[in-house]
Amino acid sequence: MANHSSTHPAHVQHHFVDSEQQFDSAKMGMWVFIVNEVLFFGGLFCAYIVFRTWYPDLFTQAATQLDTFWGAVNTVVLIGSSLTVAMAIRSAQKNQQRGLEINLLITIALACVFLVIKYFEYSHKIHIGILPGAENYTFEGIDHPLAHVFFGIYYIMTGVHGLHVIVGIGLMLWIYFRARKGEFGSEYYTPVEITGLYWHLVDLIWIFLFPLLYLIE
Amino acid sequence: MSDNHKHGHHISTPAQLWAVGGALIVLTIVTVLFARVIHLPYPFNIITALAIAFTKAGLVAAFFMNLYWDVKFNLMLLIASLAFFILMVAITLLDTLYRIEVVPSF
Repeated sequence: MANHSSTHPAHVQHHFVDSEQQFDSAKMGMWVFIVNEVLFFGGLFCAYIVFRTWYPDLFTQAATQLDTFWGAVNTVVLIGSSLTVAMAIRSAQKNQQRGLEINLLITIALACVFLVIKYFEYSHKIHIGILPGAENYTFEGIDHPLAHVFFGIYYIMTGVHGLHVIVGIGLMLWIYFRARKGEFGSEYYTPVEITGLYWHLVDLIWIFLFPLLYLIE
Repeated sequence: MSDNHKHGHHISTPAQLWAVGGALIVLTIVTVLFARVIHLPYPFNIITALAIAFTKAGLVAAFFMNLYWDVKFNLMLLIASLAFFILMVAITLLDTLYRIEVVPSF
């Protein structure tokens, strides 16, 4: 058999016709994963919708315990990180090695800021007795017998989202160290593009979580 | 669109990306203002909040995730996922909205 490496660039695996087909296949695979993620979070949003139609008063009362200011700050932090990851992809496409590395580092830093703010929000709630589960919940500031149900939904939705942020930080560190080795450029930046899509999805979910949890009136 | 089109991949200009990021932050401020300063009566408060959230999501999907320039198949995947989400919620609500007792065990 002919040696494919003589006709293929090093990054193209032998079962793809060319670099372009490999890129398109990888991206489509990521979009299929995003479909799965939409439906995964969709189940949680479905629970939210059911309980909100059952107990509208519970949601308006319990949401007063969430800090709109820090929720809004975290929204801006995630939007900023989406912008820097888009800039990182652009840098890779333009062969700007330094721009790629710096934008990835800013994105990782913003993701960490998001988690630190979330940590302070969680620890404040845990401190005053707002814990998930009826047995653990001891806070008495909300006059509703099912106050723990709202915070069960809050902790699961923001917790699973936070888990996605942690995974995103891991992925971007991996991309960053590969970028430092000079693996990415205009010819090949598929992992940067795919990780970017994942990170935008994390931003997208928070765009819905923020008004639905923090801004209930 | 003036950037070079090697492989036909779209490369956004920094101005385009900053404009999208800026619009997202402005819409975040608008949604907070609607909820905390301009109090709309129910159900218009929820409709406004969701309309702004979907606008923001549309901006992210179109210009950060590049669906605007991408092959239509990927857009179809996203729309299909939303269609199945709506189906899941609708079928669930057909049960939960029409129960005589909400949850007997509560």
